[in-house]
Amino acid sequence: MSPPLAFRTRGLTKRFGSIEALRDLSIEVPRGVTFGLLGPNGAGKTTLLRLLLGLTRPTRGSASVLGKPLPPGAVLPRIGYMPQDLAIYADLTVEENLALFGRLVGMADDRIASRTAEVLALVELAGRRGELVSKFSGGMRRRTSLAAALLHDPDLLLLDEPTVGVDPELRATFWTYFGDLTAKGKTVVITTHYMEEAARCDLVALLHHGRLLARDAPAAVKAATATTNLEDAFLALVRRQGVEA
Amino acid sequence: MNARRVLAVARKSLSQFRHDRRTLAFIVVMPLFMVGVFGYTFGGSVSHIRTLVANEDAGARAAEVLGNMEGDTLDLVVATDLAAAREQVRLGRAWAVLHFPANFTATVMTRNATIGLVLDGTAPVITAAILGKLRAAIEATLATAGSAPLTIERNYVYGSEETRSIDAFAPGVVGLAVLMVTTLLSVIVLVRERAGGLLERLFATPLRPSEFVLGHALALSLLAVLQSAVVLAAAVLLFQVQIAGNLALAFVFLLLFAAGNQGLGILMSSAAKNELQAIQFIPLILFPSLLLTGVFFPLEAIPPTVRPLSYAVPLTYAADALKGVMLRGWGLGELWLDAVVLVVYDVLTLAAAAAMVRRQA
Repeated sequence: MSPPLAFRTRGLTKRFGSIEALRDLSIEVPRGVTFGLLGPNGAGKTTLLRLLLGLTRPTRGSASVLGKPLPPGAVLPRIGYMPQDLAIYADLTVEENLALFGRLVGMADDRIASRTAEVLALVELAGRRGELVSKFSGGMRRRTSLAAALLHDPDLLLLDEPTVGVDPELRATFWTYFGDLTAKGKTVVITTHYMEEAARCDLVALLHHGRLLARDAPAAVKAATATTNLEDAFLALVRRQGVEA
Repeated sequence: MNARRVLAVARKSLSQFRHDRRTLAFIVVMPLFMVGVFGYTFGGSVSHIRTLVANEDAGARAAEVLGNMEGDTLDLVVATDLAAAREQVRLGRAWAVLHFPANFTATVMTRNATIGLVLDGTAPVITAAILGKLRAAIEATLATAGSAPLTIERNYVYGSEETRSIDAFAPGVVGLAVLMVTTLLSVIVLVRERAGGLLERLFATPLRPSEFVLGHALALSLLAVLQSAVVLAAAVLLFQVQIAGNLALAFVFLLLFAAGNQGLGILMSSAAKNELQAIQFIPLILFPSLLLTGVFFPLEAIPPTVRPLSYAVPLTYAADALKGVMLRGWGLGELWLDAVVLVVYDVLTLAAAAAMVRRQA
């Protein structure tokens, strides 16, 4: 029997007018890994996350998330999402934000209280839970948004550029935590354009103009392109695609 | 439909307003300002209208009539020369000249007396006030003399001689304040949530569009009730506005009206990309509501060709219901049609908003 998948896509295509944001993407991601989605702006990383969350519908193709075909409705409470633009309420306090998202995924109030303490300790905002987010710096807002995504201990985390503006020390803490999560069988999907950060993922997918260039372990991607880092690997793959095209 | 999620959204919105004191103040102060302005400008009838009196009457009847005209409405000023008095009107220094001819007393009892009235007729309200005062004074004078031509026996079913313009306007003004604040806030809140990616973030949870719309409507309708309470309290305390009926029923109508306005606001928000554009909806909401709904002018004053539009503006029904409750003391037995229309308004706008809000995210 094949191992359970975090998500799978088959020929997934998304067009916005004449722009093809995602082109014929077929990919499988097992559970219990950190999975990096790499590519420059406009590569289709965010579009893929939005498709998996049911926030937009595919033009063609199909996908399943945590074993359920799109739209993900029933499995949404098992997914944690941190969008690139953070999307937390600046005119609410940290704990009011967390309580809102906790209630929306069906958590009981006492569980919200206990998990709030845990995740705020992780993102180092424990002492500021009663403060309005509008008073926070960009990095602190990002940490609040991450805390909201982690609150309900989801099986699948979809994090869109989670470490932008986060200092290196805290970034290292996040990666350790992501490792802890995958050890417990959770899946962490991270979009990034920091290639060195992507090297810490168990698996990566390299996207360019909506197309999948490669999907493998970082070491395997580097080996296949005879490069020493993912940035060079990416460039080599883009050139190869250009030649093929 | 999950009640907990609806309440979570409502709680979120109320918390936002709790932290945003300035907006909260706007919600209360803006309608207070409206009530104040309407109260003080429309509150009393016109007063101190400068009226010149050229009294050439040889007898005493003209003086009696003039005596019956004493009061705040007219400032009666004696004029010795009719031509000079007429000139004063022409120059805009007086609104009218009353001229009692020398034979006034002699002819008044034989019912063929004449009173000359020179008028600046550019302000119909003032003309009406002068004529009204004059007629009443003549009636009173004739009645004293035992020669009243007829007596009008007034029986008020609703209201009384004491009912003022402000009493008649107050229910409509409350409705208007609720309309402005709820619709506008709804547009602005939605525009802000959409622009910040918050709507999309909410819909990445199991939250359904209908739950979002209901939660949002619930929170803003509660604010509308709070606002109405403040406005009504101000109207009662500052202007001694009469409330004949069941206040709780008035609040039910306000809630029904406010809920539909949320739906309307959400629908309108789809046409606005930012808060500045949202604010441009103000005249679109304000003018039809001011002019077509019977808040300030009775529907009967609106030309029949335009009147169908009045029936398409929801405030028409809310204002009618509020007037029914506050002025006539009516209940649902009389006002059921308004209630039905407002419920239909709620269902239509909220359902359309729920269908649209997801696409907007």
